[in-house]
Amino acid sequence: MIDVGHFFILGILLFSIGIVGMISRRNIFVMYMSVELMLNAINLILVALSHHYEDLNAQVMAIMIIAIAAAEASIFLALFVMLFKNARSLDANFFTLLKQEKHHDEL
Amino acid sequence: MIYFKQPINSALSLIVTLLSIAGLFALLGGSFLFLVQIIIYAGAVVTLFLFIIMFLNIKEESLPHEPYKARWILLMSLLISPFTLFLISAVNNIKFASLHLKDFGSIKAVGMELYTNWVLPFEMISILLLIALVGVVILAKRETNRD
Repeated sequence: MIDVGHFFILGILLFSIGIVGMISRRNIFVMYMSVELMLNAINLILVALSHHYEDLNAQVMAIMIIAIAAAEASIFLALFVMLFKNARSLDANFFTLLKQEKHHDEL
Repeated sequence: MIYFKQPINSALSLIVTLLSIAGLFALLGGSFLFLVQIIIYAGAVVTLFLFIIMFLNIKEESLPHEPYKARWILLMSLLISPFTLFLISAVNNIKFASLHLKDFGSIKAVGMELYTNWVLPFEMISILLLIALVGVVILAKRETNRD
Protein backbone atom coordinates (compact mmCIF):
# COMPACT_ATOMS: atom_id res chain seq x y z
CA MET A 1 0.00 0.00 0.00
CA ILE A 2 1.37 3.38 -0.99
CA ASP A 3 1.39 6.00 1.73
CA VAL A 4 2.70 9.54 2.01
CA GLY A 5 6.14 8.31 3.11
CA HIS A 6 6.83 6.90 -0.33
CA PHE A 7 6.37 10.37 -1.81
CA PHE A 8 8.91 11.66 0.72
CA ILE A 9 11.38 8.97 -0.34
CA LEU A 10 10.89 9.83 -4.02
CA GLY A 11 11.41 13.52 -3.25
CA ILE A 12 14.63 12.78 -1.35
CA LEU A 13 15.92 10.61 -4.22
CA LEU A 14 15.13 13.32 -6.79
CA PHE A 15 16.89 15.92 -4.64
CA SER A 16 19.98 13.70 -4.40
CA ILE A 17 20.01 13.16 -8.17
CA GLY A 18 19.86 16.94 -8.55
CA ILE A 19 22.82 17.42 -6.20
CA VAL A 20 24.85 14.78 -8.06
CA GLY A 21 24.10 16.37 -11.42
CA MET A 22 24.93 19.83 -10.09
CA ILE A 23 28.33 18.74 -8.75
CA SER A 24 29.56 16.28 -11.35
CA ARG A 25 28.60 17.88 -14.68
CA ARG A 26 30.30 20.83 -16.38
CA ASN A 27 27.64 21.68 -18.95
CA ILE A 28 25.88 24.80 -17.62
CA PHE A 29 22.54 23.75 -19.13
CA VAL A 30 22.61 20.42 -17.31
CA MET A 31 23.64 22.16 -14.08
CA TYR A 32 20.67 24.50 -14.34
CA MET A 33 18.31 21.58 -15.07
CA SER A 34 19.60 19.87 -11.92
CA VAL A 35 18.60 22.97 -9.94
CA GLU A 36 15.11 22.73 -11.47
CA LEU A 37 14.96 19.06 -10.46
CA MET A 38 15.85 19.96 -6.86
CA LEU A 39 13.12 22.63 -6.78
CA ASN A 40 10.61 20.05 -8.04
CA ALA A 41 11.68 17.55 -5.38
CA ILE A 42 11.01 20.18 -2.72
CA ASN A 43 7.62 20.89 -4.30
CA LEU A 44 6.75 17.19 -4.18
CA ILE A 45 7.68 17.01 -0.49
CA LEU A 46 5.64 20.13 0.25
CA VAL A 47 2.55 18.72 -1.47
CA ALA A 48 2.97 15.41 0.37
CA LEU A 49 3.14 17.35 3.65
CA SER A 50 0.01 19.24 2.67
CA HIS A 51 -1.75 15.92 2.06
CA HIS A 52 -0.50 14.52 5.37
CA TYR A 53 -1.69 17.43 7.50
CA GLU A 54 -4.70 18.25 5.29
CA ASP A 55 -3.54 21.86 5.27
CA LEU A 56 -3.37 23.98 2.13
CA ASN A 57 -0.55 26.32 3.23
CA ALA A 58 2.09 23.99 1.82
CA GLN A 59 0.39 23.94 -1.58
CA VAL A 60 0.43 27.75 -1.67
CA MET A 61 4.14 27.62 -0.80
CA ALA A 62 4.66 25.26 -3.75
CA ILE A 63 2.90 27.76 -6.03
CA MET A 64 5.27 30.49 -4.76
CA ILE A 65 8.25 28.24 -5.50
CA ILE A 66 6.98 27.67 -9.05
CA ALA A 67 6.65 31.44 -9.58
CA ILE A 68 10.17 32.05 -8.26
CA ALA A 69 11.50 29.27 -10.51
CA ALA A 70 9.88 30.91 -13.53
CA ALA A 71 11.54 34.25 -12.71
CA GLU A 72 14.83 32.46 -12.13
CA ALA A 73 14.56 30.60 -15.44
CA SER A 74 14.25 33.82 -17.45
CA ILE A 75 17.32 35.38 -15.82
CA PHE A 76 19.34 32.18 -16.18
CA LEU A 77 18.50 31.92 -19.87
CA ALA A 78 19.43 35.56 -20.53
CA LEU A 79 22.76 34.94 -18.78
CA PHE A 80 23.34 31.78 -20.79
CA VAL A 81 22.72 33.59 -24.06
CA MET A 82 25.20 36.31 -23.03
CA LEU A 83 27.82 33.80 -21.90
CA PHE A 84 27.47 31.77 -25.09
CA LYS A 85 27.74 34.87 -27.27
CA ASN A 86 30.91 35.96 -25.46
CA ALA A 87 32.72 32.64 -25.03
CA ARG A 88 31.17 30.30 -27.65
CA SER A 89 31.24 27.54 -25.06
CA LEU A 90 28.95 25.84 -22.54
CA ASP A 91 31.79 24.69 -20.31
CA ALA A 92 31.51 25.88 -16.72
CA ASN A 93 35.30 25.71 -16.35
CA PHE A 94 35.58 28.42 -18.99
CA PHE A 95 33.84 31.09 -16.92
CA THR A 96 36.51 31.91 -14.37
CA LEU A 97 36.35 35.71 -14.45
CA LEU A 98 36.20 35.95 -10.65
CA LYS A 99 39.12 33.60 -10.07
CA GLN A 100 42.12 35.11 -8.37
CA GLU A 101 45.13 35.65 -10.59
CA LYS A 102 48.37 33.85 -9.84
CA HIS A 103 50.62 36.94 -10.00
CA HIS A 104 50.10 40.06 -7.91
CA ASP A 105 52.17 42.63 -9.75
CA GLU A 106 49.85 45.53 -9.15
CA LEU A 107 49.41 44.89 -5.44
CA MET B 1 18.67 13.17 -17.21
CA ILE B 2 22.05 14.14 -15.79
CA TYR B 3 24.00 11.73 -17.98
CA PHE B 4 23.19 12.92 -21.52
CA LYS B 5 25.89 14.73 -23.46
CA GLN B 6 23.52 16.83 -25.55
CA PRO B 7 21.53 19.34 -23.46
CA ILE B 8 18.44 18.86 -25.63
CA ASN B 9 18.14 15.21 -24.54
CA SER B 10 18.39 16.34 -20.93
CA ALA B 11 15.67 18.93 -21.48
CA LEU B 12 13.30 16.38 -23.07
CA SER B 13 13.81 13.94 -20.21
CA LEU B 14 13.30 16.83 -17.78
CA ILE B 15 9.88 17.39 -19.41
CA VAL B 16 9.05 13.70 -18.83
CA THR B 17 10.11 14.01 -15.18
CA LEU B 18 8.03 17.15 -14.67
CA LEU B 19 4.93 15.55 -16.19
CA SER B 20 5.35 12.53 -13.90
CA ILE B 21 5.64 14.84 -10.90
CA ALA B 22 2.46 16.58 -12.10
CA GLY B 23 0.70 13.20 -12.02
CA LEU B 24 1.93 12.66 -8.47
CA PHE B 25 0.53 16.09 -7.52
CA ALA B 26 -2.85 15.01 -8.87
CA LEU B 27 -2.58 11.79 -6.86
CA LEU B 28 -1.88 13.81 -3.71
CA GLY B 29 -4.93 16.00 -4.18
CA GLY B 30 -3.31 19.14 -5.58
CA SER B 31 -5.46 19.67 -8.64
CA PHE B 32 -4.46 23.33 -9.03
CA LEU B 33 -0.78 22.48 -8.69
CA PHE B 34 -1.24 19.72 -11.27
CA LEU B 35 -2.50 22.29 -13.79
CA VAL B 36 0.17 24.86 -12.83
CA GLN B 37 2.93 22.27 -13.14
CA ILE B 38 1.83 21.23 -16.62
CA ILE B 39 1.09 24.74 -17.93
CA ILE B 40 3.92 26.75 -16.37
CA TYR B 41 6.73 24.26 -15.84
CA ALA B 42 6.39 21.83 -18.72
CA GLY B 43 4.62 24.31 -20.97
CA ALA B 44 6.52 27.54 -20.40
CA VAL B 45 9.82 27.11 -18.57
CA VAL B 46 11.16 23.98 -20.26
CA THR B 47 9.76 25.03 -23.63
CA LEU B 48 11.62 28.33 -23.28
CA PHE B 49 14.64 26.27 -22.38
CA LEU B 50 14.30 24.09 -25.48
CA PHE B 51 13.81 27.23 -27.56
CA ILE B 52 17.05 28.75 -26.25
CA ILE B 53 18.96 25.50 -26.79
CA MET B 54 17.79 25.31 -30.39
CA PHE B 55 18.32 29.07 -30.87
CA LEU B 56 21.97 28.92 -29.77
CA ASN B 57 22.71 26.23 -32.38
CA ILE B 58 25.17 24.40 -30.16
CA LYS B 59 27.91 22.61 -32.06
CA GLU B 60 29.89 19.64 -30.87
CA GLU B 61 33.02 21.69 -30.11
CA SER B 62 31.25 24.11 -27.79
CA LEU B 63 30.07 21.33 -25.51
CA PRO B 64 32.44 20.67 -22.60
CA HIS B 65 34.79 17.74 -22.99
CA GLU B 66 34.01 15.39 -20.12
CA PRO B 67 35.93 12.13 -20.49
CA TYR B 68 35.45 11.04 -16.86
CA LYS B 69 31.75 11.90 -16.62
CA ALA B 70 30.57 8.41 -15.58
CA ARG B 71 33.31 8.16 -12.98
CA TRP B 72 32.45 11.59 -11.56
CA ILE B 73 28.76 10.73 -11.34
CA LEU B 74 29.51 7.40 -9.65
CA LEU B 75 31.88 9.03 -7.14
CA MET B 76 29.44 11.80 -6.31
CA SER B 77 26.60 9.29 -5.92
CA LEU B 78 28.74 7.36 -3.44
CA LEU B 79 29.47 10.61 -1.59
CA ILE B 80 25.83 11.72 -1.48
CA SER B 81 24.32 8.29 -0.72
CA PRO B 82 24.93 8.32 3.10
CA PHE B 83 23.05 11.60 3.32
CA THR B 84 20.19 10.16 1.23
CA LEU B 85 20.02 6.91 3.19
CA PHE B 86 20.02 8.86 6.47
CA LEU B 87 17.08 10.98 5.30
CA ILE B 88 15.18 7.91 4.02
CA SER B 89 15.68 6.06 7.30
CA ALA B 90 14.55 9.17 9.19
CA VAL B 91 11.39 9.31 7.06
CA ASN B 92 10.75 5.58 7.50
CA ASN B 93 10.45 6.02 11.26
CA ILE B 94 7.48 8.35 10.88
CA LYS B 95 4.06 6.73 10.74
CA PHE B 96 2.17 8.16 7.76
CA ALA B 97 -1.47 7.72 6.93
CA SER B 98 -2.29 5.97 3.67
CA LEU B 99 -3.60 7.95 0.73
CA HIS B 100 -7.19 9.06 1.10
CA LEU B 101 -8.87 10.22 -2.06
CA LYS B 102 -11.42 12.72 -0.94
CA ASP B 103 -12.29 16.26 -1.91
CA PHE B 104 -9.19 18.11 -0.82
CA GLY B 105 -7.12 20.81 -2.45
CA SER B 106 -9.74 22.07 -4.86
CA ILE B 107 -9.01 25.21 -6.86
CA LYS B 108 -11.46 27.26 -4.81
CA ALA B 109 -9.86 26.27 -1.51
CA VAL B 110 -6.35 27.03 -2.78
CA GLY B 111 -7.54 30.39 -4.12
CA MET B 112 -9.16 31.31 -0.82
CA GLU B 113 -5.97 30.40 1.02
CA LEU B 114 -3.84 32.34 -1.49
CA TYR B 115 -5.90 35.53 -1.31
CA THR B 116 -6.54 35.61 2.45
CA ASN B 117 -3.46 34.43 4.33
CA TRP B 118 -0.87 34.75 1.57
CA VAL B 119 -1.70 38.14 0.03
CA LEU B 120 1.58 39.84 1.02
CA PRO B 121 3.87 37.08 -0.37
CA PHE B 122 1.69 37.01 -3.49
CA GLU B 123 2.28 40.72 -4.11
CA MET B 124 5.98 40.34 -3.35
CA ILE B 125 6.12 37.58 -5.99
CA SER B 126 4.63 39.98 -8.51
CA ILE B 127 7.31 42.58 -7.65
CA LEU B 128 9.96 39.87 -8.00
CA LEU B 129 8.65 38.94 -11.45
CA LEU B 130 8.76 42.63 -12.45
CA ILE B 131 12.38 42.89 -11.25
CA ALA B 132 13.28 39.74 -13.20
CA LEU B 133 11.65 41.21 -16.30
CA VAL B 134 13.62 44.46 -16.00
CA GLY B 135 16.85 42.57 -15.34
CA VAL B 136 16.41 40.36 -18.39
CA VAL B 137 15.69 43.36 -20.60
CA ILE B 138 18.79 45.16 -19.33
CA LEU B 139 20.97 42.07 -19.93
CA ALA B 140 19.66 41.61 -23.47
CA LYS B 141 20.04 45.33 -24.25
CA ARG B 142 23.66 45.47 -23.11
CA GLU B 143 24.38 42.51 -25.36
CA THR B 144 22.96 44.25 -28.44
CA ASN B 145 24.90 47.45 -27.66
CA ARG B 146 28.16 45.53 -27.65
CA ASP B 147 27.56 44.04 -31.08
